[in-house]
Amino acid sequence: MRQSFTNLFDSGYVGGRRRIFCTGVVSFTMCVALTTTQSYAVGIHRPEKSIEALGKELSTKHFKYAAQVIGKVIDVQGQSLPGVTVVLKGTTVGATTDVDGNYTINVPDGQENGILVFSYIGFADKEVPIGNQSTINVQLQEDTKKLNEVVVVGYGTQKREEITSAVSNVSEEEFNQSGARNAMDLVQGKVAGLTVDRSSSNPNTGVALQIRGITSITGGQAPLVVIDGIPGGNLDLLQQDDIASISVLKDGSAAAIYGTRANGGVILVTTKRGKSGAPRFDYNTYFRKEYVRNRPDFMNADEYRAIIAQGLIDASYDYGSTTDAYDELINHDNLSQNHNLALSGGSATTTYRASIYYQDLQGIAKENSRKQYGGRFSLNQTGLQDRLTAQINLATNFNRANRLGGGGWEGSLVRNPTLPFYNPDGSFLFEPTSTNEVARLEQETNRRQQQTSSFDAKLNLEILRGLQASIFGAMQRNSYEDGAYRQLNSEFSLENDIFRGGGYARRGTYLRTDYTVEPTIQFDEIIANDHHINAVGGYSYQYTVEENFFAENYGFVNDIFEENNLGAGNQLQEGKANMGSGKGDNTLIAFFGRVNYSFQEKYLLSLILRHEGSSRFGENNKWGNFPAASVGWNIYKEPFMENIAFINSLKIRAGYGVTGNQDIANYSSLVTLGTGGVYINPDGEYRQTYGPNRNPNPDLRWEKKKELNVGIDFSILNDKLSGSIDVFRRKTEDLLYNYTSQLPPFVRETIYTNVGAISNKGVEITLSAIPVQTEDFTWNVDVTGSHATNEADNLSNDLYKTDVISEGAIGGFGALGDAFRIVEGGKIGNFYGKRFASFDENGDWLFYNRNGDAVPFDQINNSNDPEVTDLAVIGNAIPKYYASMTNDFRYKNLGLRVFLRGRFGYDILNTMDLSYGNQVALPNNILKSAFTRNAQLTDTYQYSDYYLESGNFVKLDEITLSYNFNFNTPFIRNLRIYATGSNLATFTKYNGNDPDYVLTTGIGNEINGRRLGIDVRDPYPNTRSFLIGLNVGF
Amino acid sequence: MKKMKRINKALKIAAMVLPLMAVNACTDLDENIYDQLVSNNFYNNRNEVVSAVLRPYTHANAWVTPGQDGWWRLNELSADELAWPVKGRHGQDGGRWFRLHYHTWTPDDDFVWGAWRLMWWGMGLCTSPIENLEARDAAEMGITEEEKASYVSELKLLRAFHYLKLMDLYGNIPVVTQVGEPVNPPTQSRAEVFNFIEKEILDNINSAPKLSQEMLGRMSQAGAYAMLAELYLNAETWTGTPRWDDCIAAADKLIAGEAGGQNGPATLDPNLTDTFKPSNYTSNEILFSIAYEFQRANFAPQWPGDFYHFQQQYIYGGARNGNDGVVVIPGVYSTFADNDMRKSEWILEGPQYRYDAPTQPVIASGGNEYDGQPLVFVDNIRKNKTLQPGQDPATLPSDMTQGEENSGVRFNKYKLGALEDPDYNGTDWAIYRLSWIYFAKAEALMRKSGGTATPEAVELINQVKQRAFAPEDWEAVKYTPATLTMDELLAERGREFIFEGWRRQDLIRFGEFVTTSWWDHQPTNDPTKQLYPIPRRQVTLNPNLKQNPGYN
Repeated sequence: MRQSFTNLFDSGYVGGRRRIFCTGVVSFTMCVALTTTQSYAVGIHRPEKSIEALGKELSTKHFKYAAQVIGKVIDVQGQSLPGVTVVLKGTTVGATTDVDGNYTINVPDGQENGILVFSYIGFADKEVPIGNQSTINVQLQEDTKKLNEVVVVGYGTQKREEITSAVSNVSEEEFNQSGARNAMDLVQGKVAGLTVDRSSSNPNTGVALQIRGITSITGGQAPLVVIDGIPGGNLDLLQQDDIASISVLKDGSAAAIYGTRANGGVILVTTKRGKSGAPRFDYNTYFRKEYVRNRPDFMNADEYRAIIAQGLIDASYDYGSTTDAYDELINHDNLSQNHNLALSGGSATTTYRASIYYQDLQGIAKENSRKQYGGRFSLNQTGLQDRLTAQINLATNFNRANRLGGGGWEGSLVRNPTLPFYNPDGSFLFEPTSTNEVARLEQETNRRQQQTSSFDAKLNLEILRGLQASIFGAMQRNSYEDGAYRQLNSEFSLENDIFRGGGYARRGTYLRTDYTVEPTIQFDEIIANDHHINAVGGYSYQYTVEENFFAENYGFVNDIFEENNLGAGNQLQEGKANMGSGKGDNTLIAFFGRVNYSFQEKYLLSLILRHEGSSRFGENNKWGNFPAASVGWNIYKEPFMENIAFINSLKIRAGYGVTGNQDIANYSSLVTLGTGGVYINPDGEYRQTYGPNRNPNPDLRWEKKKELNVGIDFSILNDKLSGSIDVFRRKTEDLLYNYTSQLPPFVRETIYTNVGAISNKGVEITLSAIPVQTEDFTWNVDVTGSHATNEADNLSNDLYKTDVISEGAIGGFGALGDAFRIVEGGKIGNFYGKRFASFDENGDWLFYNRNGDAVPFDQINNSNDPEVTDLAVIGNAIPKYYASMTNDFRYKNLGLRVFLRGRFGYDILNTMDLSYGNQVALPNNILKSAFTRNAQLTDTYQYSDYYLESGNFVKLDEITLSYNFNFNTPFIRNLRIYATGSNLATFTKYNGNDPDYVLTTGIGNEINGRRLGIDVRDPYPNTRSFLIGLNVGF
Repeated sequence: MKKMKRINKALKIAAMVLPLMAVNACTDLDENIYDQLVSNNFYNNRNEVVSAVLRPYTHANAWVTPGQDGWWRLNELSADELAWPVKGRHGQDGGRWFRLHYHTWTPDDDFVWGAWRLMWWGMGLCTSPIENLEARDAAEMGITEEEKASYVSELKLLRAFHYLKLMDLYGNIPVVTQVGEPVNPPTQSRAEVFNFIEKEILDNINSAPKLSQEMLGRMSQAGAYAMLAELYLNAETWTGTPRWDDCIAAADKLIAGEAGGQNGPATLDPNLTDTFKPSNYTSNEILFSIAYEFQRANFAPQWPGDFYHFQQQYIYGGARNGNDGVVVIPGVYSTFADNDMRKSEWILEGPQYRYDAPTQPVIASGGNEYDGQPLVFVDNIRKNKTLQPGQDPATLPSDMTQGEENSGVRFNKYKLGALEDPDYNGTDWAIYRLSWIYFAKAEALMRKSGGTATPEAVELINQVKQRAFAPEDWEAVKYTPATLTMDELLAERGREFIFEGWRRQDLIRFGEFVTTSWWDHQPTNDPTKQLYPIPRRQVTLNPNLKQNPGYN
């Protein structure tokens, strides 16, 4: 007993608030004294995630005690649980379990028949009557009830029950299992209102993220990612096996704490931490194989010859070979793998977790891969009599990416399938208007070596009971070195006009460093049992600096140096090879504060203010204020609800918040002088010229979003059905856009200025149900759904006016212009163009004019003037509804998950059909639809509603079958194997590429090479993948 | 109570710590600029001054030469010599080329905006250094007072050139001489703009340098007199008041070589090709040009994009190809006599042979109509591929939609040279050349004499024309006062200055732009089409800007 208690004390495990400050001799004396006194605790739940903070309380008060109860607390796997709070119900008497899960509690006189309450974060409370027992061993169950979940909300945590805004939390168990290429893949379809647009399975491309709709036209749309407190955290540093949970702050009333970066919402990622107790090893691995799921339906060589036989193409186009250029780009032997080994553990005062990983992600395309390895380390330590906690995190990622492949699909699809890749002499066949991709993959290289690291530390000192001061510092560094080489006999080297017949090499470097310093003060106290106040105030300084450099050279005489000796080429000296470098920085400074108040956990209030400035803004508008307020009411705690048995919990909440967006280019407010190309000087030399390249805007400021959110959280029918419904209305004002400026008198035709407003409104629903729950069999269903509309409220002010904003370049042949038009009062994402009527007898297009007559193209009035134009709104690219459903079936140790995802109520511009479903493109290879669906058409390319199709789809995105082995052995703690199939089937009527990969975010600007609602002509293959994985812990 | 005390204590501590933080707290949000320049850290030495003075020239490349929506395209593709028809799957381009050819443009057309945008932007690139130079002491900039005056005059003349060409297209435009002031400048009538330009040129012409090798590619007295000649030649059209004598006087300055020249006093180049060859910096007749230099400086012309076929590189031995865009309208080619060397030198027609193997045809590739077959440029625009056996080709429709890959004969006036040419890809684009001055003076003389040719006028035209004919052919083709009618003058202008950007202006001055038909163009008989509309986006924005008559 003595040993155990000393252990507790020495290790500083005695957390809590009414501590005595004992140091040196005093502490020794106290320790001795304490062995004869009682310890007690107060059973107040505080929203802290660290177990250290949940300790028992020590007091110098003397109690008489009648009995002593001892015991051990374990989890379902039999692992001892340290740090569990044990409280005698209705009293302040308590204890905490030690490293081995043992506790001792002295029960005061008259309380022998009391009840012990065991509580531990992440586990359901358990109450055990003492009776006459002197030993009470307890097994705690993990808590599945969401209300007790502790959710990271930025600069702190909150119990779900006390949250007053729209916050979603996805924990590890809910993550997608298909082997994430990007951490955000883990939550695709899991959070209502969060759109994760994957562009493809290319391991070297990212995702586009958007929460609740469009908030900007020219600035960033993406949410702020905060990793363990680092704002602007780099997703490359996140491995799926290292992530504990991902929280999404969707509305302004929560996100306002991040001020001018929060318009797109905030995603807070929490990585895993060590737990005190026995050391743990966790090893996770998977292997994944991908297959092409459906390829665009172009002719093969036989079909092409059949077209020649029909006389549609000259016989001279049969070059005699039979080739499949698309298939030549496919890496049929792909096999991706992931290994992650984590070590964790610690004492009562120090915990650690270290993980290392290796990943080899191979694309479905040849020469398209990403090999990465790295690690993540976290250390938490408590000292100074538990008053000081320190936390250090280190993470790094080394990545070698092969970026050569992954493109060239369009050229390969349209390539004549009778054209060989090689000349009769065995050399590659080149011709100037197309690229021989087979040769390119063989004769060129394009590699990136990247290292991304972050380091952060936090010191937290409890100055007084309930008052803590912290300082957080972080540094992130992202750098890469690119190298590319094109051989002497490569197509590029033979056809370029700088220097023919020599090799070409390029090197580039990039370095970005982010520094963050955030001192904060936090106050957390329960006053008079009913008033829980949690307040945080702080200062934030963030500085980002980016630098880059590149150089290229031509004319290498052999292929030996590649990009490793740029000086050996001959055109840098001549000034015809390019070289460049750049550097820019920006600073964000903020003062912020938040107060959360809860009365009896029934009435909740949260207030936020952030005062923030960014160097990017104009000199007249550097600083802005971002306030928010939200309230909540846990109705089910009211007495009048006690008799309504089917309701387990019910909360309504409402919030209003103002946030900003500063995600614009550096120096946007300044007139800068730009280079204008070289010109001849009087001495006959050509030198660079300089002139103003931007109109100044000293008034440039943040885009400002005001958002109202009303929500309800409920759990009914014995917690068998729970969920949230949120309704929001938001308006983003002072939208930044490159407005046409008065030209003259300004130098440039545009000025980057704050003018317009966009509003979004919508509904988000998250439901969890447990339709079946027996001892052996459980069926869980999670459903998310969202609906939002996006409207342009206004686009003009007194100074700057525009009738329309055109976006969404259609591309391809025929200069088809933009697909979208934004007008005041109109929806964002509206396709605007001609209305198809029919084809005339020659196969030429006829379109409807404004009177409804079918007329040829040259009679169509394309004016912007609504009084005369023949163009109209012909569709919308933003889905009205997103929905997803996860079914989890568990039979004994066997698990099955079926995940479906879909988007509904929107249109896609089928550019593939537009460009290649048309015989005018012959003798190139074209889609078979040119002879079937579009057989009547022989005219040139036109953009009209003919090519708009409904994008509705339902995708069977994941099926995972898993088995948990229960070994009764001390050598293996847990062992799980699983098999996952992803992207198994897509149910859609859309005729183009997989609609899932068509962007539904943005306004038509290019994101990862794609644009809202516009299908691509160069589709990275859509893949179906199969994965087997193993999780083992010992 | 106890709790309240604690809170008080907490607040006290907070009150102590927060100011500490505020002291440490940096609230400095100044921007550090590393890789860009702002005007207050510029103009510190001669090189910086020169680099700002020269900036508008590299920009003028964008709008004065073919290749972008600028002055050139609006002046040539709306006229009777050149067009950009649809060729198979290429060139539909949203109907923009139709609208130029048919004169059905609107204030929303992007080429209407494009030219406005580029030209006014260039104007700002003149005004900004004018303001900066005028505001600074010469010594601070490391230059002499004379140099400063000379640079300012040069820039003001160059700015006048922008106004001249804007007025040519849009007529009634604002006159602005300060960057950013006034925010909403008002429209001035074409006559007012004319007067401003004239005054600006006259005020600055004498303090500007004469043309010399050092002033290659820059505005000088030569360019200024050429501007005056253009201004006065069109004065009747633009202001209603003829200024023939002023035109002649300006032309005489140049003809006499008083404004200098690239290589000694300006004279007509003896050979037809001298003005357009890769080394045309040696030309004696170019008065103002965009001076390209590729081999040393990587500054190359942009016009291949508009003119060149997809496989043009094989034809001339260089490396540049184009979009197979602009072609000569059917019928124009045949207005050149067969022994007119301009026909063979300046225009590509018929089967094309490889530069590197002159007996081998250039083979088309890239999936268009003649893929795999010899490339033959034909003087017609129709779908010859669809010709049925026995069908008369003349029965095929010929209009803006009916082109094929090889339709129309092609630009070959400026030559880029083959890869091995030391001046490869650096051919200067002549904005004004002395031949044009000869024609301007001749026309002024003829108009002064009621539209009949004077012997001096005939002599001027003949001096230019003679270079295109072999000596043995010359007597038969040279003009006499009887043969040089006004119509013939317009036709000869068309031949001499084909591809050079003048045709719309000429047709307007000769009263034919909106009244005559050519190939697929029917006359609109609408005089308001002689001006382009002011881009709608500017009319929407600037309440003081008036739309041109005939447009809404």
